[in-house]
Amino acid sequence: MTKEKNGAVISLGNISKEFRTLNRREGLKGSILDLFSRNYKIIKAVNGISFDIQPGEKVGLLGPNGAGKSTAIKMMSGVLKPTSGEIRVNGVIPYNNRTKNAQNIGVVFGQRTQLWWALPLIESFKLLKDIYLIEDADYKNMLELYKSIIDLEPLLKKPVRQMSLGQRTLSDILASFLHNPKVVFLDEPTIGLDVSMKSKIRELVLELNRVRNTTVILTTHDIGDVDALCERVIIIDKGSKLYDNSIEELKHFFGSYRTLKIMFDKKAYNEKTLLTDVDELQRLFGGIEHADGIVSVSKNEEWIDILVDEDKCAVVELLSVVRKYKKVADIKLDEISTEEVIKRIYEGD
Amino acid sequence: MKLRRCLSLIRIGIMENLQWRLSIIITFLGNIVYLVIIYSLWNAIYASSPADTVNGMTFTDTMVYLVLAMTIFNILNLYIVWEMGRDIQSGQMIINLIRPMEFRSYMFFSSLGGNIVHFFMVFIPTFIIVNIITGGAIPIGLNLVFFLPALIFALIIYYFIDFLIGTVCLYTESTWGINIAKEVTVLLLSGAMIPIAFFPDGLKTVAAYLPFQAIYNVPLRILTERDLSVQERFFMLGVQLIWVAVFYIASGLFWKKSIKVITVNGG
Repeated sequence: MTKEKNGAVISLGNISKEFRTLNRREGLKGSILDLFSRNYKIIKAVNGISFDIQPGEKVGLLGPNGAGKSTAIKMMSGVLKPTSGEIRVNGVIPYNNRTKNAQNIGVVFGQRTQLWWALPLIESFKLLKDIYLIEDADYKNMLELYKSIIDLEPLLKKPVRQMSLGQRTLSDILASFLHNPKVVFLDEPTIGLDVSMKSKIRELVLELNRVRNTTVILTTHDIGDVDALCERVIIIDKGSKLYDNSIEELKHFFGSYRTLKIMFDKKAYNEKTLLTDVDELQRLFGGIEHADGIVSVSKNEEWIDILVDEDKCAVVELLSVVRKYKKVADIKLDEISTEEVIKRIYEGD
Repeated sequence: MKLRRCLSLIRIGIMENLQWRLSIIITFLGNIVYLVIIYSLWNAIYASSPADTVNGMTFTDTMVYLVLAMTIFNILNLYIVWEMGRDIQSGQMIINLIRPMEFRSYMFFSSLGGNIVHFFMVFIPTFIIVNIITGGAIPIGLNLVFFLPALIFALIIYYFIDFLIGTVCLYTESTWGINIAKEVTVLLLSGAMIPIAFFPDGLKTVAAYLPFQAIYNVPLRILTERDLSVQERFFMLGVQLIWVAVFYIASGLFWKKSIKVITVNGG
């Protein structure tokens, strides 16, 4: 990537952020000792990350918990100052011009609300209209746009504290787009939501991005969000950038992988066989037609995890093979987790 | 700073405070309990004194002063320190930091609606009731014209002090002890618990040079004392203004320095 700022709406240049945290000792004696002598350790939350983001891009920041995603968002929104490196958002250094930067960005933190708790949503909107100095016509247009995407009326009159988590998150997203910012940061927006609400929120964000050409930066550890929303994915692990490329390219690492989890019926278990469940399954699968679709078989407590590439081998097919020989007590089907993708990227390189 | 932003924040603050009708009623009931206590206490003090006036104040003077002090406490004290501490601990603070407004003025105008609600719901009724019961112990005239700016300056000084203490929470991440210490200091040295006229001479001098008397003593004297000259009133407002300036600068500088240590908890 060039050092030139060629029209990038966000650029991070070798950003690091360190936190100093207290190393607490254990137990009561430790707590008392902590009063007198303190022992700090430096934690590197973000370690030399660089990237440029162009206007209108939809970028997913993916990573496990504690990877440094939120810290990155906080630095881009001007709340935290990086220990080293430089950030530009809309040509402004956010942590030096926090209020100026705030006018051009919208932020949603999935676990907090920026709305006025006790009052109907419309009051929060009216206030935000004044705080962000939104013109009447622009405000009206935005509400019209919202109404064309979702059923806004019932939400507007509802006090925020009476909303469900999904409605509240939806409202928070609407609030963050209200002043038509150039960039919107969505920090874990779908956390704790059910499938239908997740898809509703994804649709809303996609549509707003399309109509307003808003740059969307999304952090999540749900690979489904990234798959549905983003064209480009940046994976952060332990504070460093691990991957930065298109979602298509990333799919090469997880394809249409899913994990089939099987639990065998304990009662029907054949004590005489010397093979473990895993070995036995591998032997079984050895004979079937699409065996190359099975990526791995492993034991995870009482579950057997079978990672399958569905492009090559259907889960249903596998299941029928297994059921011919073993009594299955329970099954689960999981999307591939971010951790597995990261593991595969490490292994793939 | 844009007026449109400030007015809108005040407006939503008023609406939010009016939601909590029960809270206003309970404030009122709490005040009555407090009144009974100070009435009995000062009754005993005056009963043990040979003269009707103690330190230049009659029993009625003292009671009127203390009742009004209590209502001013209700107006001014919006638990800013507590709120800042809670927001810092929970990480909710970040929401206020992503607004396109300076944090200190954002907080001020967000809470101003509460001050205004308490002014109309607690102070005005108390003022009227006291004046009816005492048969006009509080003068109504030019003093009211001076009282309003005095109250506004008191509010600003009090807010800046709270903001300073709240900023300390960025370092300690805990507020309780500091807040209690502040509360007691302010209430005592400002003349809110005991009129400054009753202070021993040494403490009176100390209190005069401290900012706290500008919060309670100044607006209360301007409101209740009949024989203050216009010059004296202007002088008192001037002293308040100096404290406004001092705390404006101090809290601003301290915040600017402290915001760098912020880590923002959670998520």
